[in-house]
Amino acid sequence: MSLEYSIVYKAENNYQNWVEQAHWQFLIIPEVNNNQEFVNIDFSNSVGATNQFSINGYGFKTIRVHPKQKFKNISFEATFRLIKKEVNPFDFNPSADIEQSYQKLNELNFKVDFEAFLKTTHFTRIPQAQKSMFDFEKDISIFENLQNLNHFVFNYLRFKTNVTDVKTTLDEIIVERQGVCQDFTHLFCAVARKNDIPARYVSGYLHQGNGYFGDSQMHAWAEAYIPKIGWVGFDPTNNLLANTNHIKVAHGKDYTDCSPLKGVVYTTGTNETSHTVQVLSQQQQ
Amino acid sequence: MDNIENQIFSSYERNPILYDEIYKKKGQIKKVYKKLFELYGKHSIQDYVNLNAKAKSSFFNQGITFQVYNDKDTQEKIFPFDLFPRIIAPDEWEIIEKGAIQRSKALNLFLWDIYHDKNIIREGIVPMELISTSENYLDQMVGIDPPGGIYNHISGTDIIKHNDGKYYVLEDNIRCPSGVSYVICNRTALKRALFGVFNHYKTYSVTNYAENLLDLLETTKPKGVDVPVSVVITPGMFNSAFYEHSYLAKTMGVELVEGRDLFVENDFVYMKTIKGPIKVDIIYRRIDDQFIDPLEFKPDSTLGVPGLFAAYKKGNVTLANAPGTGVADDKAVYTYMPQIIKYYLNEEPILNNVHTYHCSRPDELKYVLEHIHELVIKPVDEAGGYGISIGNRLTKAEIETVKKQITESPRKYVAQPIMSLSVHPTYIDESESFEQRHVDLRTFTILGKDKEFVLKGGLTRVALQKGNLIVNSSQGGGSKDTWVLKG
Repeated sequence: MSLEYSIVYKAENNYQNWVEQAHWQFLIIPEVNNNQEFVNIDFSNSVGATNQFSINGYGFKTIRVHPKQKFKNISFEATFRLIKKEVNPFDFNPSADIEQSYQKLNELNFKVDFEAFLKTTHFTRIPQAQKSMFDFEKDISIFENLQNLNHFVFNYLRFKTNVTDVKTTLDEIIVERQGVCQDFTHLFCAVARKNDIPARYVSGYLHQGNGYFGDSQMHAWAEAYIPKIGWVGFDPTNNLLANTNHIKVAHGKDYTDCSPLKGVVYTTGTNETSHTVQVLSQQQQ
Repeated sequence: MDNIENQIFSSYERNPILYDEIYKKKGQIKKVYKKLFELYGKHSIQDYVNLNAKAKSSFFNQGITFQVYNDKDTQEKIFPFDLFPRIIAPDEWEIIEKGAIQRSKALNLFLWDIYHDKNIIREGIVPMELISTSENYLDQMVGIDPPGGIYNHISGTDIIKHNDGKYYVLEDNIRCPSGVSYVICNRTALKRALFGVFNHYKTYSVTNYAENLLDLLETTKPKGVDVPVSVVITPGMFNSAFYEHSYLAKTMGVELVEGRDLFVENDFVYMKTIKGPIKVDIIYRRIDDQFIDPLEFKPDSTLGVPGLFAAYKKGNVTLANAPGTGVADDKAVYTYMPQIIKYYLNEEPILNNVHTYHCSRPDELKYVLEHIHELVIKPVDEAGGYGISIGNRLTKAEIETVKKQITESPRKYVAQPIMSLSVHPTYIDESESFEQRHVDLRTFTILGKDKEFVLKGGLTRVALQKGNLIVNSSQGGGSKDTWVLKG
């Protein structure tokens, strides 16, 4: 059994004064992977500029727009249709060879292979005082520890919008104990890496039919690498394992690598921006 | 003594502790300098004052100036130039040239490795921290094959002569090394002031740099390109090295552009011209990594070209030097250069590295703490001379502070013996006489696909303040014409 999703992403920008030059790059196209199959993509902008498809530095598909004439407002609309296979997060035996799995984490080759997702970045730096806020227990499996961590982050932070922004770091988040999916994910990744588990930040869409937290924007969750099992998705904002409702777009070390929209806009004065995301699903036989 | 008959050197004080490049140990002039010494000796100090003024105006007239911003009013300044040239004999040059090529090649292989399989780390030759804690390691470069297999097309190697008479490398500059235009302008200025002296020496020309640069850059053109179009991209006329950018573009015969002159369409790079867009294949970029593409790196940069990195990743354009090369000119990498050269080339290093003690290793830490008065302590991650402590210039209290810092975070520090740079006679305005001043040498090496070139000459930088060891132009350094003699 699988689900067909249709995702509608809309962005609208209004500027007080003329924009003479602008470049945008969208990182919003669902990734094609083992359980995501693409059906269709439709992207348009209101000024009739060409939409160029490209690949960013981390290998993910992007759409770039560079209007050739000046404008005061511009809107973008993308519709993606894809088939998502049923995901069973428990399709492995998590408790096999506990000791061996921990040993693997200490091997140099393992550390080199996952170097990018083990290192501390701007958004995944835990302040000195909280260095041991969550230590793994070595007598239970890595998977169980990660589930506990997921639970810990979910309980540690309160979901609240508009108290943090894309620049907020863990120093503030850990003290204020509130934030959005991005902050939950950064904390999860930071603690996992602190415990030598490769962890990556994932951006994507969440089908919210079940009343999960997220918002009408893009969602973020984490993937952690467990030896012998592979990458497993954890959604600390909802205390869930990533499942059929999670549609992945990209992953990276932290938000910086995955920001859905990057732009260079030459204008003066103020501007207003709004984004909406709508995810619809339809069961398939 | 030779200098008694020579009036302009009559007051030259030769400090025997320092390694003076023009004297032999016992105080006689070295053979290669004899003629020069004699020729310069025919002039009076007054002639010299006049010639010096003439040389200075030659720089102003050519527009070879840099700006000093921190003064109250911005001033156009010239990089002080000294009329007494430095001579490098053929046998010594051979060592320098071979050594510079060896280092550049080893660094290129190192860069390929750390952006691909990382074998040197897996085999435990260098620690993983060299890349995982480096600000200059670009994850985006992992797996990219740069056109022609070249990362560091242009390397500037800073070399000194220690008081043991041997050459040591202090630094490998492989981001955007500058200074080559001064090498050429110094030669021009000296020829204008004292043409006659060139008749007595067979010196290699330095004016062939640009043609070799273009030639070698073209060997690394993107696949499928027949006759490549090259450009030089500059941050703009307010950059302190703008003269050099325009000089190189002019002498290579290519366009000098800023970011706004280029655009990317369907992952190809184009230059705007009055005749319409022209596809660009090779970009010699004098803009730092973080500024080359606001859609991939620093988003608020207006210096670069949106979409440039995607074009590079696709293999549609060559960037020289490649993004991410900066990781290899970190101080920490420098300390592993002997191992890096051995690992990739299976050769012994031709040029010496200054021995480095890693405070992270317990036995070396012990040595450092016991010998701190004869060592230079450097933080691993600071550039531009910040945070450096020179052991023999510290007070007792300062030594204790430094020891405490090292003991607390040994990973952050390395230590090196205090090097004594050689000295060279330099005309000093204030005393109106020649005095000993410390010098170094920056050489310029170009790597192409299966081809390499070292400019036969280089930038000899002079620390103009007495006793000063820092030769940077921002620290009041000057420069000399540097002659490499034909064998």
